[in-house]
Amino acid sequence: MNIFAQLLVSGVSVGMIYAVIAFGYQLTFATSKTLNFGQGEALMLGALVGLTTINFLIGQSIGTFWAYLLMLPVVLVFGLAQGAFVEWLGVRQAIRIKSEAGWIMATIALGIIFKNLAENVWGRDPLKFPSPLPEAALQIGPVRIQPMEIAIVAGALALMAAVEIFNRRSIFGKAVVATANDRDAAGLMGVNTSLVITFSYALSSLSAAFAGVLVAPVTLTGAAMGAVLGLKAFAVAIIGGLSSGVGAIVGGLILGIVETLTGFYISTGYKDVPGLVLLLLVLSLKPSGLFGVAAIKKV
Amino acid sequence: MRKLLPVLAAIAAVLVIPFAVTSPYYLHLLQTIAIFAIVVLGLDIVFGYTGEVSIGHAALFGIGAYTAGVLSMHFNIGFWPSLIAAPVVTALFGALLALPALRVTGPYLAMVTLAFGTIVQILINEIVPLTNGPLGVKFSTPALFDWRDYSNALPFLDMSAKRMKESQFFILSGLALIGVIVVINRILASRFGRAFEALRDSPIACDCMGVSVYRHKVIAFVASAAFAGFAGVFFAYSEQYIAPNNFSFELSVLFLLAVTMGGRKSRLGPLIGAAIIVYLPNLLADISLFRIVAGVIAAVAVIAGGASAIRDPDSRRRVVTPVLLCVAFFVFSLFLQKITDFKLTLFGMMILFVVYYLPDGIVGFLKQIFAQIVPSLFGRAQMSTKGGAESDAFVAAPIVDKDRPLLNVGRVVMQFGGLKALGGVDLTVKPGTIHGLIGPNGSGKSTMMNVLTGIYTPTAGEVKFENHSLAGLKSPQIAALGVARTFQNVQLFGELTLTENVLVGLQHTYKSGIFEIALGLPRALGDEAGARKRAAAILDFVGLAGLANEEARNLPYGKQRLLEIGRALALDPKLLLLDEPAAGLTAPDIKELIGIIRKIRDHGITVILIEHHMDVVMSICDTITVLDFGEKIAEGKAAEVQANPRVIEAYLGGAAATAV
Repeated sequence: MNIFAQLLVSGVSVGMIYAVIAFGYQLTFATSKTLNFGQGEALMLGALVGLTTINFLIGQSIGTFWAYLLMLPVVLVFGLAQGAFVEWLGVRQAIRIKSEAGWIMATIALGIIFKNLAENVWGRDPLKFPSPLPEAALQIGPVRIQPMEIAIVAGALALMAAVEIFNRRSIFGKAVVATANDRDAAGLMGVNTSLVITFSYALSSLSAAFAGVLVAPVTLTGAAMGAVLGLKAFAVAIIGGLSSGVGAIVGGLILGIVETLTGFYISTGYKDVPGLVLLLLVLSLKPSGLFGVAAIKKV
Repeated sequence: MRKLLPVLAAIAAVLVIPFAVTSPYYLHLLQTIAIFAIVVLGLDIVFGYTGEVSIGHAALFGIGAYTAGVLSMHFNIGFWPSLIAAPVVTALFGALLALPALRVTGPYLAMVTLAFGTIVQILINEIVPLTNGPLGVKFSTPALFDWRDYSNALPFLDMSAKRMKESQFFILSGLALIGVIVVINRILASRFGRAFEALRDSPIACDCMGVSVYRHKVIAFVASAAFAGFAGVFFAYSEQYIAPNNFSFELSVLFLLAVTMGGRKSRLGPLIGAAIIVYLPNLLADISLFRIVAGVIAAVAVIAGGASAIRDPDSRRRVVTPVLLCVAFFVFSLFLQKITDFKLTLFGMMILFVVYYLPDGIVGFLKQIFAQIVPSLFGRAQMSTKGGAESDAFVAAPIVDKDRPLLNVGRVVMQFGGLKALGGVDLTVKPGTIHGLIGPNGSGKSTMMNVLTGIYTPTAGEVKFENHSLAGLKSPQIAALGVARTFQNVQLFGELTLTENVLVGLQHTYKSGIFEIALGLPRALGDEAGARKRAAAILDFVGLAGLANEEARNLPYGKQRLLEIGRALALDPKLLLLDEPAAGLTAPDIKELIGIIRKIRDHGITVILIEHHMDVVMSICDTITVLDFGEKIAEGKAAEVQANPRVIEAYLGGAAATAV
């Protein structure tokens, strides 16, 4: 039972990382019906930029904890810029020339380029990311939790809450929601929808970069870290529904926990299988996702 | 004979190449191109024709190769049986992915296949007992006729167990490629190819013609997977060693690049694309060759860009970016020291370039140029089939039991959120009649049509057609029961000809399956000929016989509406739903339309007519139902409805009604 509780706890922290990335997919899918197939690479770049920044700050003899906090704004701004760049080069052009599925290929291509550049800048070997919190696990009841795992859950929830509040409260957020509902109508009402889409990509990459620095202290950092995470988040986004923020969290938790359980009770080698199985199951039973709403066709 | 000639020429070329290319290295390169071309041609069915993206074809290719590996490692089963087993296995995997992923529109197939590709690679590494894991599988060259299994019983057969020579295996791969091209050509020229084109033009109309979009997308993907598996066996025996790393994500992307760069929706494009992706690593391995190529590309871009900027000053801004990119690329290549480090970056830049500046691929680009020089080359093949008498347009009139209603709608409710578009409407349609459905805008007429044809599933209530309950059925199933429709905003298959539009509606008359079509069996040919004859008769009936080979999008609006009626008639419906057929028609056109609708009824087909032209409705409808705000407010003969105060109120408002 103790082991089971322990597995649940680790599953939750992994799942929240998936949830944040999947949330990023939802942001762009809502406004433009496209998503970034290089999202894993956005996460990886965020983590590596964070690593360079935090090492620089630590080199200025700032404590790890404060260095981590100071690094966050740098990474978030970098994420915004990276997302805007992907939208500008990968998505807008492809949509403009009406190249069908062009955005899929373009974002894949950008992902490949980012990964290759990262390999050349940071090397091919995984690097250790300094942990801002003590690495000794806390004993809470029957389970041992790393402080960073708690930080992951808290950070992930905080980020998603911040974006949601922004969307609901600010006028610019309303423009985002309006574009998501009906792009043409929003455009006719004077909303600069192409700016909104760029912005949603920027926010999406920001979430991914943030997820990158959240997860980096508990894993290793490197050019190859993004691909699998981005993929798992695909599964989460589909399981939860591409249109539901709550869906991303629930989907993330389901996948995170199932994976951890599979890894322990079956074999770590098969840890990645449940993602695909769950994905296919959900699509068979409820194609719009557990929390998604089926779209109404218009004739 | 004209079809046979290119095939014979290709076979001759394949037989000659081993004599011309004596270097085993280049022969192997050509062989790899042929094998990759099979995968890319298959991928084109999905990516080019149905417009869905698969990022998992390397994995399917790998499953094919590993099927051969597992069979040879564990069961000592050689090349030839694998060639049959592998496509079956990969087709099953294809179905496993496509059946769930294609239920929804959107980038789902891309996402699912991407996940699949990664997981297959992990699994091949993990399931060591089955696949030998990271160590890979070794193969020996197949024997031309593998009798070894029987040589114990029949020793004399062992004599022919000679290993194939490299040149023989090349010829075999080349012949396989030709075979695949022939089969794909046949499938794409058949009703399947037509359905693939139609479902992109208008998925909803496709479903309502009984041609299920979902089903055909699944068929396309499964067929494509089978081709990938087939090629996988050739790859395994060609390389004689396979390992999980052979079938990576990058290879899947390369396949997509090959389709796009070569040119989608053609046979030549994938061949060119396959040649490029096979030769690409060689190009990227040699820095000086790479610099030369980059230099040539930059020079061509500068000259072409400059010329177009002089000719057309408006295009300057558009042209300047790609030209600058090409030049920057060349400068970059001069600074590049170790090309291998940046291989993937170059590869990514190539994809971006192709997506933006070569969206139709090399073949599309060349076609465009040649079409400007010799336009006559690219006209459509003119196929004329004489239609018979008018009765040929219809099958024998359905037997009509005058007293039993054909359609019975009971208290149907259709709710969208808080809006009740239909609030419990009853509707009974007698067979052999023209039943009008009228009402002001927003009264729920079109919603009713959509409920009847399965586009909407009603929130409550029941729809009975003959003895079948329609509630919950999908559009293609309802169409198969004999309910056809036209659309308020015309939904034709714009890029298909008139004949082809009608042929999509005639899909249900085909008896032959995909294998008969692939083999070109007589029944498949007969089906097509029969359907074409009926299509000609139907076009004749709606008065469009002279335009049979025109693309539907080129028709004037009024004729598009007539074509929609023709296409719906092709379904041999018992019930025909016409949604504002007279909208946008001129007065003479309307007269013709009235004649056509009457004739349709006279052939025993029941018609439901939604229309705002009251003269049309009142002159031909046997019964009229009036809707307002989702409620039925009146029903009866034309005169009764016209006199009904509630109808007058609905159309003219309360005050007008009292004034009368």
